[in-house]
Amino acid sequence: MLRRAARARLAPFGAGVVLLAVLVALTAPLLAPYDPLAQNLGNTLARPGRAHLLGTDNVGRDVLSRVIWGTRVSLVAGLVAVAIAVVAGSLLGVVAGYCGGRVDGLVMRLMDAVLSFPPLVLALALGAVLGAGLTGVLVALGVVYTPTFARLMRGQVLTINARDYVEAARALGAPGWRVAWRHVVPNAANPIIVQASLSVAFAILAEASLSFLGLGIQPPQASWGSMINAGRGYLQQAPWIVFGPGAALFVTVVGLNFVGDAVRDALDPRTRA
Amino acid sequence: MASDVSRRDFLLMCAVASGAPLAGLDPGPAVAADAPKKGGTLRVAFYIEAATMDPHLSGSKIDRQVYHNIYEPLVTLDVRLGIKPGLAESWQQPDPKTLILKLRRGVKFHDGTEFNAEAARFNFNRMKTEPKSVRKGEVASIDSVDVVDAYSIKLNLKRPDAALLATLTDRAGMMVSPKVAQERGAELERNAKGAGTGPFEFVEWVKDDHILIKRNESYWNRQGGPYLDRVRYRPIPDDTVKLQSLQTGEIDVMDYVQPRDVAAVKADRNVVVVDVPSLADFAYQLNHARPPFNTKALRQAVAYALDLEQIVKGVWLNVGVPANGPIPPTSWAYDRSIPPIRRDLAKSKARLAEGGQPNGFAFTMTTNNIPINVQEAEVIQAQLREAGITMKIKLVDSATLISDGNNKNFEMISYQWSGRPDPDGNTYQFYKTTQGTSLNWSGISNPQIDALLDRTREVANQAERKKLFSDLTKILQDELPMVFIVHPIEPKAFSPKVRGYEPIPDGMMRFKDVWLQ
Amino acid sequence: MGRLVLRRLGATVPVLLLVTAGVFALLHLTPGDPIDVMMAESVDAEVKENLRRELGLDRPLYVQYAAWMGRLLRGDLGRSIRNGEPVVESVSRRLRPSLELALLAMTVSLVIAFPVGIVCAVRRNTPIDRAGATFAVFGICMPNFLLALLLIFFFGVTLRWLPISGYTDPLEEGWNGLRSLVLPAVTLGLALAAVVTRTLRSSVLEALAEDYVRTARAKGLSEWRVIQAHVLKNALIPVVTVLGLQLGTLIGGAVITEYVFALPGVGRLVVDAVFARDYPLVQGVVLLIAVGFILSNLIVDVLYGWIDPRIRSR
Repeated sequence: MLRRAARARLAPFGAGVVLLAVLVALTAPLLAPYDPLAQNLGNTLARPGRAHLLGTDNVGRDVLSRVIWGTRVSLVAGLVAVAIAVVAGSLLGVVAGYCGGRVDGLVMRLMDAVLSFPPLVLALALGAVLGAGLTGVLVALGVVYTPTFARLMRGQVLTINARDYVEAARALGAPGWRVAWRHVVPNAANPIIVQASLSVAFAILAEASLSFLGLGIQPPQASWGSMINAGRGYLQQAPWIVFGPGAALFVTVVGLNFVGDAVRDALDPRTRA
Repeated sequence: MASDVSRRDFLLMCAVASGAPLAGLDPGPAVAADAPKKGGTLRVAFYIEAATMDPHLSGSKIDRQVYHNIYEPLVTLDVRLGIKPGLAESWQQPDPKTLILKLRRGVKFHDGTEFNAEAARFNFNRMKTEPKSVRKGEVASIDSVDVVDAYSIKLNLKRPDAALLATLTDRAGMMVSPKVAQERGAELERNAKGAGTGPFEFVEWVKDDHILIKRNESYWNRQGGPYLDRVRYRPIPDDTVKLQSLQTGEIDVMDYVQPRDVAAVKADRNVVVVDVPSLADFAYQLNHARPPFNTKALRQAVAYALDLEQIVKGVWLNVGVPANGPIPPTSWAYDRSIPPIRRDLAKSKARLAEGGQPNGFAFTMTTNNIPINVQEAEVIQAQLREAGITMKIKLVDSATLISDGNNKNFEMISYQWSGRPDPDGNTYQFYKTTQGTSLNWSGISNPQIDALLDRTREVANQAERKKLFSDLTKILQDELPMVFIVHPIEPKAFSPKVRGYEPIPDGMMRFKDVWLQ
Repeated sequence: MGRLVLRRLGATVPVLLLVTAGVFALLHLTPGDPIDVMMAESVDAEVKENLRRELGLDRPLYVQYAAWMGRLLRGDLGRSIRNGEPVVESVSRRLRPSLELALLAMTVSLVIAFPVGIVCAVRRNTPIDRAGATFAVFGICMPNFLLALLLIFFFGVTLRWLPISGYTDPLEEGWNGLRSLVLPAVTLGLALAAVVTRTLRSSVLEALAEDYVRTARAKGLSEWRVIQAHVLKNALIPVVTVLGLQLGTLIGGAVITEYVFALPGVGRLVVDAVFARDYPLVQGVVLLIAVGFILSNLIVDVLYGWIDPRIRSR
């Protein structure tokens, strides 16, 4: 109980951070003091000061404005990647759980294959195949996270299928898909939501890691990871290029994690200690 | 790989090009009058692992750094890109299709066998016939090789080739011990023990870790070095980490300093930077085969919208000079009287109208996903926007870049050519009409240019060739198969205890006369 | 037990087939060609064509895949296109630094996680516990590329205590080798420490609630003695699981850390191979990484059943 109380104190902090991030993302055009793309080659690598609170980058763009606009990219990246995984994973999981037998075996082996595939290679190759840009990275991340949701959904389907009310519905002659839609999916939703809320944080981190390797968002737009990548060569001369987006990334991911934990505590009775 | 040129550096480059005294190029301490001293291990860092130890099979630039210390070419370059004797003491050209090389006596390969005319002929035949030879194209103009006597050979050419001698200063002129090549076969790619004649001998190559070479105690040239006991090459792919390794004393030499680090490194007392003007030519090829750049006026609209001064200053931090064409200021063929294309937004607008796009147009630039290219692309994007031209940036890895270029699957594509000592290597293969895949990615086909290019190969007189290359440069500025951006400088950085390094514009680090204090 | 292992091994065959076919298809869909990368500055189309023919790259894809499979069944992973080295040699050379790094990272994580996890569990719901929990969240949320940059910045460049790049084999040069791996091991170990701390804390808590612990306490044993004698052994099972599952990931997946610190490990090998379009090398490494991943899962399961017989019945 006490532990939950301790967490309860972190949850509002996390929620605050996430809310702030969402707000910043939505109001970026109003909030950003400068055009995030406006270059000034006469004022590159400027120290943080009154004119530029977080300094300027290697082509003289305002780092703060880019961090603010980058919030959009990072949040959208996290949400879209997880959404892809939730949709694809849930569908595959339902199909596997329902059909059983060979289909189940095939789907689950496919998921095992994805899991044992080095994620970075997958992202690299998909990025190259789908063409440069955020799309490739988001699809790759979606694919990487799909097995988690597929396994979760399949497990849920198998458990719920065995319950009385589902068997009753089936006995009354309801078609399989309807049973699934009416009874199984709503009941399986909780663990999926818990997993999804935890995954968003990691998807944001993963997008940043891939951007750090130069994959993903195409210039001149920036995500936090791509800003850190562009700034790492200037770590000694202008560490603020890295610190600004680095701090934003870290705080947001921490906040999302707290929220994820709180969602889990609220929805998943098993972890209520 | 690229670099930039401050005003001072630029003057130095001009000094190099014009043959003015070179002392200024040397880092202060390195020209101190101390007597060279034997001993020590030099630790050198490269950006990538070498690919092969066989110079005839090598297609990777980094391999050459090692080769120039263990192998020797028939002729070598001096600081001004002049040709000087190497394993060949002298040469003469009785007619445009014959080249007679007189070879040095008393040279032994590291395996103890003798270097002579037979060995040289063996090498040329190997380059021409070995199935995996990457040198075939470079020695294509050589029809046959005759042994005149034990120490002279005659190259019979299929066609006049004014650039041939310059080609022989690198891998195509490097002599491998016939005995080693025959006995070791493919293993030579990994183990070059005994294979060369150079001031250093190959010791070992531990893949992904290091290549070790040691002093050749019986080197033929008794003047000066080799002084170093050993040289140890190590790959460090990350520029920042590489630089920091130098600053913390983990390495003594790094092959290249990023422009962004040059100022900081020059201020660091623990590091000596040497600006090595390069032969490189960094540009963007424009696809003549598809819209929008099949329209000449639109190519010109882009060229007039670019502010090269700003790019060189802002992106390259002056570690390079704005380019007026493909020939670098280090070359004797560089024509200083031709200015780079200057920004002129009014002209750009006029060309847009002429090309039927008075309100501007949109296109995609394909470029390599490395920081300085990205930065340059962003600056170009902003400059073009001011002219009403919308440029999208497509970042790709180098494999995709090459594939897109070869398949002419681009509108505008980054092309960074490391350069060749003879201007032929920076021009012919890019602008000559060619079928199929070639480095002429733009697909330019212009009879006037073709005729000029052929002429530059036939004429032997340097002044006359220079005039031809000037004419070519002017036509290129009008036809624009490429927009030329910068001729970079390639700064190298050393620990202050490294002495005696002489920068040659081909960027190769020859350690014969280098010593450690 | 034996049958379980056999059945699990049998199930990996289709998985590996899918993985190899997937890599093969993805790679060949990717634009670019190994020969062009190798000979970027050569114009000689004839040489390139010869080389392609010699390597069989001109044949239809399914033929290439079948040929690769055929060789694989004979235990031959082929040779790298870039440098002609047998793939097995490339990988085994790279495996050593990767393994050493992984083990060192685990050591780092255990050194941190053990005291923190146990203290948090014993003093649960105190400020100490909350500090521990916060540390764990921070460890999990810290992007490793950022941590690597910060570590290089402070310990390598500013303080100059530790080397920031390159690899010296600790098995050959002992101390120097260890020093070369400290920063990368901390980079990887910190995130792992966070996970292990969480796991250890909750498993210690669970064990503390068991009857035998109460009995031990009733016998008047001191709290630390109880933990040593009764709690730790049982609390270790989940920790072994976590570490075992991470081993595969650490070996093949430490790409960024290996990149930033210039360590010649497996992760960097595969990424470099992708950039060079070195098809046989990518296929070989991915296959081996997948096998490693599956095996480590399997071993964890087997160990699990061995440590805790109740699980076998499942």
